[in-house]
Amino acid sequence: MAEWYEEKGRDNDVVLSTKACIVRNIKGYNFMPRLDDKECQSLMDTVDEAVDKNVFAGGPASSLDKDTAIRLIRLQVLGREGSQMVGAERKAFYYNDNASLSIAVGSGEHITVRAMAAGHDISVYKTAEKAVMDLESKLDIAYSDKYGFLTSNVRLAGTGLKILYTVALPAISKTEGGIAALTQRVGQYEWTIYPFAERGELADSNVYIIASVNTLGITEDELLKRGEMLIADVIKAERACREEIATNKKDQSEDIFGRSYGTLRYSALISRSEAIQALGWLRLYHDYYDGGDIKCSWSAINKLTMNVLWEPGVPLKKNSPGALATSQKIRADGIRKSLKAEE
Amino acid sequence: MRCERCGKELTNRIIKINGITYCENCARIMGYDRFLRDPSDIMSNPFAPLDEIASSLMKMSELDFGNSTLTCPKCGMTLREFENDGRVGCIECYNTFNDNIVREMFKQQGNSEYAGRLPGQTAATDTETKAVPAPKTVKKKTAAAKSEAKAEEETKEQAKPESAPEKTEKSGLTIDKLKKADLGMLSNEELEQGIKIAAEAEEYRLASKLRDELKGRKEGENNG
Repeated sequence: MAEWYEEKGRDNDVVLSTKACIVRNIKGYNFMPRLDDKECQSLMDTVDEAVDKNVFAGGPASSLDKDTAIRLIRLQVLGREGSQMVGAERKAFYYNDNASLSIAVGSGEHITVRAMAAGHDISVYKTAEKAVMDLESKLDIAYSDKYGFLTSNVRLAGTGLKILYTVALPAISKTEGGIAALTQRVGQYEWTIYPFAERGELADSNVYIIASVNTLGITEDELLKRGEMLIADVIKAERACREEIATNKKDQSEDIFGRSYGTLRYSALISRSEAIQALGWLRLYHDYYDGGDIKCSWSAINKLTMNVLWEPGVPLKKNSPGALATSQKIRADGIRKSLKAEE
Repeated sequence: MRCERCGKELTNRIIKINGITYCENCARIMGYDRFLRDPSDIMSNPFAPLDEIASSLMKMSELDFGNSTLTCPKCGMTLREFENDGRVGCIECYNTFNDNIVREMFKQQGNSEYAGRLPGQTAATDTETKAVPAPKTVKKKTAAAKSEAKAEEETKEQAKPESAPEKTEKSGLTIDKLKKADLGMLSNEELEQGIKIAAEAEEYRLASKLRDELKGRKEGENNG
């Protein structure tokens, strides 16, 4: 079965994924920062009983084997580089067949339901809502008429809902003042935009997260509608910038496109930074390339981008100078193999 | 941008003090009047800021820090802990720190009223994903691109792009006219209108040409 991010999504030349996250807490238990280990175990048992085992696999995080953990990092259930595995004994994870729908217990709030889809697909909200409503029918959820669903993080109180679009914006990023103008536009919708990674190898990835902010004073429907209008604007703007670059700087663009493909197709060692930059150029010029030599589908570009962005971290030991080269070799082998399959 | 104290949208003056953004009214309430003054005031009384610092120091002994030790009777969380990381410990904290929580909500969202769905009820939403039409000039010449485009059409069969009706402004400008026009013959106002029309019709290349023409003229005016 194909992983969720390998499915063909709408507007996948710009939008890598759409996610809906809904958080809930259970009455009778303190929130996570004030929950002792004994209470936490009781909470995990209570949620475990409520989770539909016909849909979800998984369980306590401490029981996950290494291979499963690596798979769940790639599938974006465990957070980047497995960040959510910290304090594993107080957490649990449940996920469906392709991990597009998951339930995390103890990650910030008692329950976090996350639905994900490739490309631009707001139906993720309904998927997440259905799973949440199932849990609401079985558990006594913390709710007040005044504030809505109560959460430990007061910024989430209310609907407890966040919508996130992961977008690849190589052309806006290369346009002078492009990101600043986009940030302003996003702010007008009362949403926010931030880079996929602030620092490190992926700091220049040109991949951004566009996320909702408001959980109060707005209905779920209004939030979704606003998000759809915003993402349509972002898609149009990115495509317009690509057209501008690809037509006004055709020769340079085609040259970098070809070189980027060559780097990805034939490198024996490649860093994450180099790979993501090259993939950005493939994305930018893909629809304008009219030569016949380079064959690389949107599915391949998106799959490789996701693989590089969500690569499980390789722990580098102080006395193993070869570890970095090894991880670069594994990455380069994987990319070469994927692109060869496209020929 | 919103005032971080009252949550109101900032319209005219923005006052930033110790990294916190205030509206004019809140800055006054918080006793930051000196930041609101016109620089010319200082010229008339250069010692005024020093006077204020001295009087602030005198008042410090009267300041009330009583609330900072407020503690939730259920989970033991203190107000200071909440203020440090924005998280509360239990449901009861919402009663204990109500004022501070409402302030935090205003600061972040400009609202503290719940408008979402009730537990167990589905949200009334008919929002659906509509694919965004690609620009008309995108080339799909390679075999791979052609087959991809075909597959894309199949997945997007329900989302038919609406063709933007050609808008005519009072000046009589249309996309066709703008495309054929000698840009040098258009007035600045016409260029500005043209940019708007082209952007609405998603004719971004045309819009950028018009923008460059207008920009060139304005730079010429400034330099000349």
